[in-house]
Amino acid sequence: MSWSWIPGNGALIWQLTRENIYLGVVPALLGLVISLPLGIVAARWRWFYPPALTVVSVIYAIPAIALFIALIPALGLTDTNVIVALTLFSLCVILPNVVAGLRGVPEPVRQAATAMGYGAVRRLVTVELPLAVPVILGGLRVGMVSSISLATIGQLIGVSSLGYLFIDGLQRSFPTEIYVGLVLIIALAVACDLILAGVRRALTPWAARS
Amino acid sequence: MITFERVTKRYPDGTVAVDALDLEVPAGKTVVLVGPSGCGKTTTLRMVNRLVEPTGGRVLLDGRDVRDQNPARLRRGIGYVIQQTGLFPHRTVEDNIATVPVLNGWRRAKARARARELLALVGLDQALARRYPYQLSGGQQQRVGVARALAADPPVLLMDEPFSAVDPVVRASLQEQLITLQTELRKTVVLVTHDIEEAIKVGDLVALFRPHGQLAQFGTPERLLGAPADDYVAGFVGFDRGIRRLSFFSTASVPLNTGPVLGAGVTVAEARAAGEPWILVVSGGKPLGWVPSERLGRLPRDTPLGQVPADGFGHTFTVGTESLRAALDAAVLSPAGQAIGVDGDGRVVGVATFDQLRAAVAEERTAADAAAVAPGAGAAAAPAPGTPAGQAAGSQAGAPP
Repeated sequence: MSWSWIPGNGALIWQLTRENIYLGVVPALLGLVISLPLGIVAARWRWFYPPALTVVSVIYAIPAIALFIALIPALGLTDTNVIVALTLFSLCVILPNVVAGLRGVPEPVRQAATAMGYGAVRRLVTVELPLAVPVILGGLRVGMVSSISLATIGQLIGVSSLGYLFIDGLQRSFPTEIYVGLVLIIALAVACDLILAGVRRALTPWAARS
Repeated sequence: MITFERVTKRYPDGTVAVDALDLEVPAGKTVVLVGPSGCGKTTTLRMVNRLVEPTGGRVLLDGRDVRDQNPARLRRGIGYVIQQTGLFPHRTVEDNIATVPVLNGWRRAKARARARELLALVGLDQALARRYPYQLSGGQQQRVGVARALAADPPVLLMDEPFSAVDPVVRASLQEQLITLQTELRKTVVLVTHDIEEAIKVGDLVALFRPHGQLAQFGTPERLLGAPADDYVAGFVGFDRGIRRLSFFSTASVPLNTGPVLGAGVTVAEARAAGEPWILVVSGGKPLGWVPSERLGRLPRDTPLGQVPADGFGHTFTVGTESLRAALDAAVLSPAGQAIGVDGDGRVVGVATFDQLRAAVAEERTAADAAAVAPGAGAAAAPAPGTPAGQAAGSQAGAPP
């Protein structure tokens, strides 16, 4: 372990960290945005969900590197390639949570809302979606953490992230670089997770805490 | 007024939940639908606010078919309370209560002010307004549910097993509250329950269902207990229906004896002279306890009764306010076998023996039966199909005040 390497490369480490955050957070948020309408459709028209789930599972089974390579003809060796691929992966984790969250709204609550004179859309927006927030955010947490970690693989097609430290460290037989990358990736994942847990708490003051 | 006209609900698999139901719920009355599970009572209730649509017949609200009205608008004019409360977990108590006013376009501040009024109406502390449902007890949640249903002041209130999920003590207090609210608000209430005791307690009229959505009997609770239409009804209202019917009989005409009632300052000698087997000792009008005459014989003549050890008296009954059932219960629990009648302030008016109570029961029963068949005592509703009208239809005349 060569501690002096760290301060000497502060600018590089900071830049790689920022790139990694970008490549982890953006796909997770895009995944959420796409999952919401799909999840609403799947919760409402039940026949839609099984085929959707099959497609999503197949996508999730593709190794990240294979998906990056498959997208090269269309998107080249770009950030967009990695973002599109990781968006698909986040979608796979977030969509089932959106469906579970909406289906988890207690039937008496749904029935009471209807009986009080809510229309379907207003009920969805003001009752069902707010009640699904904890479960949906649970999916977002997993999606974001896995995106942050998978983003490092993008380095293999030349998209810069903390993955650079792994590849460079390996090629130069310089373990310090690898350790720094590893610690930062874990720290990023934990930080995102904690932030989202805080967001959940702030959005759902009504949820009973055990 | 809610009218069911030959209403049928048949599901696609052929199950008949409600079978050609004719029923009229008079405005301002509490009508209880009661019966075993699967008798169609909840389905019947839900056809009023169109959560379920009938497959035959019509449901009329003040003469208009509910199916001619926009469902959302119709429902905002009908309060709805369910067993699991259905409170919105993500909204505070006040915002839960304000739901329908807000849907009706009220400004939030005005709706919340209204919510606070309703909290008071259902007997909840204003401090609960900002809490979330999970922070309330089951009984409090149920009260919030009632407040929410009443928020927009709907003329009709539908209640589906509203008190079934709480413990018996809380249930009794919620039932009392509904009765009190009804004397003030006079809503047209339809309440579903499987508990015949609850039906008899809160209902002005009770509709007892058979399995598969047929009406077995519709009438006042007193009529169901006093003149069950058939064995099914008699079985459902229970083997102790005779005792329970006494709940509807007044104690106003019970003869009361004052002979055994003596003040605490009266001496043992004077008490012996009264010649009663039991003496009720009172102080300032309030009962202290019963003293058997044998106990007096062993004491000095001038001992005041207040110093003689007395047996407990169980409970008293308030003359004219409480029912013959309360009076009879008081007599059963009393060591002297006599019920102590008190006035509104708890002062002893007199005592009644079993024999006197029995005579009062006979008198009240004769009066109630006569009222039930008297001309002009209109039948409250059409009889159930296949049941003789005179038996099935209850009458308003015997209704409790």
